[in-house]
Amino acid sequence: MESVTFIGEHLFWGNLGHTAVVVSFISSILAFISYFFAEKNPLDQSWSKLAKYAFQLHSLAVLTIIGALFKIIYSHYFEYHYAWQHSSRDLPVHFMISCFWEGQEGSFLLWIFWQMVIGQILLRSAKSWLNPVMAVLMLSQIALTSMLLGVKIISYKLGSSPFELLRNVMSNAPIFQQADYLSKVKDGNGLNPLLQNYWMVIHPPTLFFGFATTVVPFAYAIAALWRRDYSEWLKPALPWALISSMVLGAGIIMGGFWAYESLSFGGYWAWDPVENASLVPWLILIAGIHVMIIHKSTGNSYIVAVILIITTFLLVLYATFLTRSGILGNSSVHSFTDLGMSGQLLVFLLFFVVMAVALIVWRWKEMPRSAKDEEIYTREFWMFIGSLVLVISSFQITLTTSIPVFNKMFSANMAPPADVISHYNKWQMPMAIIIGVLTAVAHLLKYKKNGPEGLKRMGIYAAISLVLTIALYFGFELKNFIYAGLLFAGVFGIVANFMLLLPFLRGKIKLAGASVAHVGFGLLLIGVLVSSANKEVISINDSGKPINPEASSKENVENIYLERNTPHKMGDYIITYVKDSQHWVNTYYQVNYQKLDADGNVDYTFNLYPNGQINPKMGLVANPDTKHYFSHDVFTYVSSVPSNKGEAKFINEKRHEVGVGDTIFTNNGYAILKGVNSNTEAEKIDVNNFQVLLGAELKVYTLSKEYDAMPMYGVQNNAATSYEALVDEAKLKFRFIGVNPQNQKVTILSYEQDMSGDFVIMKAIVFPWINLVWAGTIIMIVGFFLSIIKRMGDLK
Amino acid sequence: MNRTSIIGLVIIALAIGAIVSMYGDASTYENFEVAKENPGKEYHIVGVLNREKEKYYDPQKDANYFTFYLIDEKGIESKVVYHNPEPADFDRSEKIVIVGSMEGEQFEASKILLKCPSKYTDNQVKT
Repeated sequence: MESVTFIGEHLFWGNLGHTAVVVSFISSILAFISYFFAEKNPLDQSWSKLAKYAFQLHSLAVLTIIGALFKIIYSHYFEYHYAWQHSSRDLPVHFMISCFWEGQEGSFLLWIFWQMVIGQILLRSAKSWLNPVMAVLMLSQIALTSMLLGVKIISYKLGSSPFELLRNVMSNAPIFQQADYLSKVKDGNGLNPLLQNYWMVIHPPTLFFGFATTVVPFAYAIAALWRRDYSEWLKPALPWALISSMVLGAGIIMGGFWAYESLSFGGYWAWDPVENASLVPWLILIAGIHVMIIHKSTGNSYIVAVILIITTFLLVLYATFLTRSGILGNSSVHSFTDLGMSGQLLVFLLFFVVMAVALIVWRWKEMPRSAKDEEIYTREFWMFIGSLVLVISSFQITLTTSIPVFNKMFSANMAPPADVISHYNKWQMPMAIIIGVLTAVAHLLKYKKNGPEGLKRMGIYAAISLVLTIALYFGFELKNFIYAGLLFAGVFGIVANFMLLLPFLRGKIKLAGASVAHVGFGLLLIGVLVSSANKEVISINDSGKPINPEASSKENVENIYLERNTPHKMGDYIITYVKDSQHWVNTYYQVNYQKLDADGNVDYTFNLYPNGQINPKMGLVANPDTKHYFSHDVFTYVSSVPSNKGEAKFINEKRHEVGVGDTIFTNNGYAILKGVNSNTEAEKIDVNNFQVLLGAELKVYTLSKEYDAMPMYGVQNNAATSYEALVDEAKLKFRFIGVNPQNQKVTILSYEQDMSGDFVIMKAIVFPWINLVWAGTIIMIVGFFLSIIKRMGDLK
Repeated sequence: MNRTSIIGLVIIALAIGAIVSMYGDASTYENFEVAKENPGKEYHIVGVLNREKEKYYDPQKDANYFTFYLIDEKGIESKVVYHNPEPADFDRSEKIVIVGSMEGEQFEASKILLKCPSKYTDNQVKT
């Protein structure tokens, strides 16, 4: 190919960014080596000095990559593939931030950024553990920055650079033979409409901060094995593990809230592989934290704590592999593209697995262990059992989520269960019951030794909880006895932990983080139970219209056809599709709800504005709108809209001979002829050209409103013309076509708009008590926060 | 037997249970031939839309009735009924995964997953 000098490119930013990627990669290797030898030669200060410089250079390089990439997106430099693919000119700035992590390269960059920030914090806080912990952190940083290299080594492309030029990615397209090709690339592909949501601005950074922090407890555990120092690491690692679980938990639930608020899945959790991939590390981390606390309090279960903390990080890597290698393929609704990095991701994962397993095996005999069996009537025993239940629960989720991996390994053709929800629920519900009950039982017991008074207290709380459960079971109108079990677990957890909390309420709340978190967990359990067990699709088709003869008896008819301005009864509501309106790229469909009381009178009304983006690339992308009440949510989205609305069509022509004061009846309302005038001040008509020009003054009445309309009739060069009057909101049109001087009457034609093409297909769901889910989560996070403060206090 | 061994055995039993349950509940990727032989049993079928034959969706008659013809990977064709509105972007799909079972002569799909030309990443420069 001959070389062309291209016009208008901003190559500086790409070169800067790419150089920064290479620098960050090499400096992370240098930092790793230096920290490694600094640990090996503690007396030689030069290694740790070099390590520090290398890490500071690395941090600077990471910031430069981010700056360069943001500059490219912000300035619409579409000569870069990343900007072209993920952004467009019309995006507001806050969505440009989302563009940043829409692509895989950007989300790796986000992860790299957080790990760099964590490294900076460790630099100031890790003290004697700095060298080995940073060495492990830098290993992870080497692996991550290599994902951005985009360098070909022999025939293998290592990583994928966000600074690749469009003309290099699509080098075969003829447009790139032209020197001024850039002037023809007018706009980028734009941001996926599903991500054009403010939750998508904060959910990914939170989740990735959660993922990134899991490396710290991992690094401490590895460092402890490396140093053969088996006790001191737990103290500094515990607050990090708590921070990680708090942030990861918040990130996961934000994802759920985002899905609920802006996706048409109809819920906050769907057991989708991508959701599972982030949930499992969190569950294992929670189990790990509990076992760490057991070890700190009793000296038991050391090995289990180490294994769980290490597994958490490995599961984060496994999750990364699952979601980014394209292996999930047909099993997930999330569409992650395969950048051809699955090999590299697998090497990344296996490297850390092998390193961790080898270290554990190598130090197996040295690790501390307790000689005797644990007593049953102790807190540590039941905490341990609870942690094991979390492990089993994670194992089951991982297993089914990994079906595509098994297919690849054993070339099988298994598919995920046809009814995924019930498959997971039948395992996870009993697990949740056990865990809920254990949050009460374990907390009511003391460590090491318990007298009979603890058991007595437990009995009393259990009895109170049982009574409350029975009352709530009927109050929430639950209909299945396994739900009673889950309800009891939640209530028992709340009651026991709340009673434990009481003495701390006056000023010492800081010490009660665990109780607060467990109250939140109990509320979350109840919220999940009630909002999903009693979730009700209310948009069931009960129109009485003839249903398609081929329709089967299957009960999945959950969408309702709503013609504009035609009220429709749906459950306890009368709903009307009122109108649509356009804001930016979205069309909002106003749907009016009238809630009926028991006597069939209107209790209250509200409007919902579910919207849809008719996206040129993806078709209708529907976003729901939800009315939040204290006790329930009404959730609505449009599942289909007419594909081409086009011009309004008018039908039902009717001829009326009317005099002044007479009434014209139509199906959409009636009109009264108030008078006929001749001094018409018509705006668009040259009045002087007419021999005669008359206007019919009509007052149009619909059910709720009145309008003025004036169709006109004129004679011009001895030929009659008429000008119609449109009453848009009433969907009526009038024409004035003749005058009869003898009987003082005029002839008016009325038309009604053909509404059959103006409709939405809608789905509506009521989620009872979904606020408990959010409230429980927030309380749980507050509990984590209190525990972090307390454990950080312990460090001093 | 001491307590640790009992706990260990329970865990192993539960783990085996999870594996068995995964195998038991897992559906399989099959073709229409297999689905026809086992009416009522749920399968995943991967195929492409037959664009020669008409798909049908008339929301004014029934908003929850959509039919089309799918050709599976073995080239066998079947009518598919989906009791939901036509999914957005259906025509653009290059591959369709349907989940459901054969009921008589037609396949009743409970779920449709569309694989579009990688949605936001089709590398076509518009000029």
